[in-house]
Amino acid sequence: MMRRLAAGAICLLVAAAGACRRPPQLGDPLPGLSTAERARFDRGRAIFDSVFTPATGLGPLFNANGCIECHEDPVRGGTGDEVERHASAFHPGVTGGGGARPCDELATLGGPVYQNHVTPALQTALGIDSEPVPPEATAIAHRTTPDIFGFGLLDAVPDSEILAYADPDDRDRDGISGRPNRFFDGRLGRFGRKALVPALREFNEGALAAEQGITTPAVPTEETVAGRPLPAGVDPAPDPELSDSAVALLDAFVRLLAPPSPLRLSREARQGRDAFGRVGCDRCHVPVLRTGDSPIPALSHRDVAAYTDLLLHDMGPELADICLGLATPSEFRTEPLMGVHRMARFLHDGRATTLEQAIELHNGEAARARDRFRALSAEDRAALVAFLKTL
Amino acid sequence: MSRLVLASICIIAAFPTAATAQQPPQPPPSPPTHNVQGAVRVVDVRGRALEVTTGVGMALRVVRLQVPADTRVTAAGAPLPLARLQAGDLVRVSYGARPGGFVAYAIERLGRVP
Repeated sequence: MMRRLAAGAICLLVAAAGACRRPPQLGDPLPGLSTAERARFDRGRAIFDSVFTPATGLGPLFNANGCIECHEDPVRGGTGDEVERHASAFHPGVTGGGGARPCDELATLGGPVYQNHVTPALQTALGIDSEPVPPEATAIAHRTTPDIFGFGLLDAVPDSEILAYADPDDRDRDGISGRPNRFFDGRLGRFGRKALVPALREFNEGALAAEQGITTPAVPTEETVAGRPLPAGVDPAPDPELSDSAVALLDAFVRLLAPPSPLRLSREARQGRDAFGRVGCDRCHVPVLRTGDSPIPALSHRDVAAYTDLLLHDMGPELADICLGLATPSEFRTEPLMGVHRMARFLHDGRATTLEQAIELHNGEAARARDRFRALSAEDRAALVAFLKTL
Repeated sequence: MSRLVLASICIIAAFPTAATAQQPPQPPPSPPTHNVQGAVRVVDVRGRALEVTTGVGMALRVVRLQVPADTRVTAAGAPLPLARLQAGDLVRVSYGARPGGFVAYAIERLGRVP
């Protein structure tokens, strides 16, 4: 009898603890990490918070002096007000059949990321304040800082899950023909506004090089000045400027950041959720993706309410800017909507200041959905936006 | 190109020279072999050179390689003339650093970037 009572009490305590467990807050780690994983998260956070100087590896070309400079709002891992420049050259007459690819990312000319700042030594040597975009560029894009919450879950989504939503020839004739981007080695891309980058580790490590000028064992060479070599003496830190183990810890921090928790649905938001589906937003902003196998249990076989298919879609000529990999200037990866309730600016360059504006700027493959949104009653439009503001 | 020069300098600088000065002459050590998988950017058949676009994330790099006549170029296991490689081909290359730049040891055409 006593034993049953004790077991019952334990069950009640466990149930109460579960009911009271608060969802992860922004900047928290994923729930359910092991002690070792949590320790790596904490150690990686210290690297994320590091502020680099030229003596510790910053630059000579850079957009920010640390991850935290851009990913700061409202907590580390969030957005920021920095806007950077990407450039490439698109030659649409080139088909790739025996000639050059239509897209030149200007990799031999310092592209596609053109840094907004230079160290004092480089400024003195060349008299420049930022990396000039070469005249070979056919377009310059502006890019806002995305938040990176839940990116570990996106990384754990299997390629097959993403490809299942692809319909490059629009066989179902719904006007939507999502297609994957591919990195230069053929792997499926998923990170970045044009979905060029295949994996989170590379997204992070590439950012160290392209955003901060920090060399690593995987990227042992500095960015050039629009293709010109760096003058002697402007890069005092020996390469690699960050060790592989430090990069791994940084990657662990980003990978284990919990996704933003959605807000509670009001009656209006529930109505808006229905409208979201009725209008067809969910054809590209797929509500839930499922992760596959992962050595980290907290990332393995989990639903992630990302509201994206991670595929490229033609968004029409008004939004078009640069090409990147297979992405043409008007093609963009479906932006994840998780966490959109905290955003103040929308779309890849932040040109929309309201969700209604962002929807109105959808065109191309999204034109039908946009038109159906316009045709909704005022009440349903407001409800749909109210739903978005819970994500 | 400048990145190539930088990379070459780094790799060359990594080889010890002073420590071997007082030892009996030995054959020069074989330079380490690197591997890259990426998209062919340029094929210069007359100049026996190849450029491959690769990189990490948004930090893109172009590797320029010399292709000596004895470099194995294959596709699906069969020999392939260098002239049959095209921009946009997906290749895997093993290569090493030489004083004049990177030299391809073997080039395998894997297909085309879709």
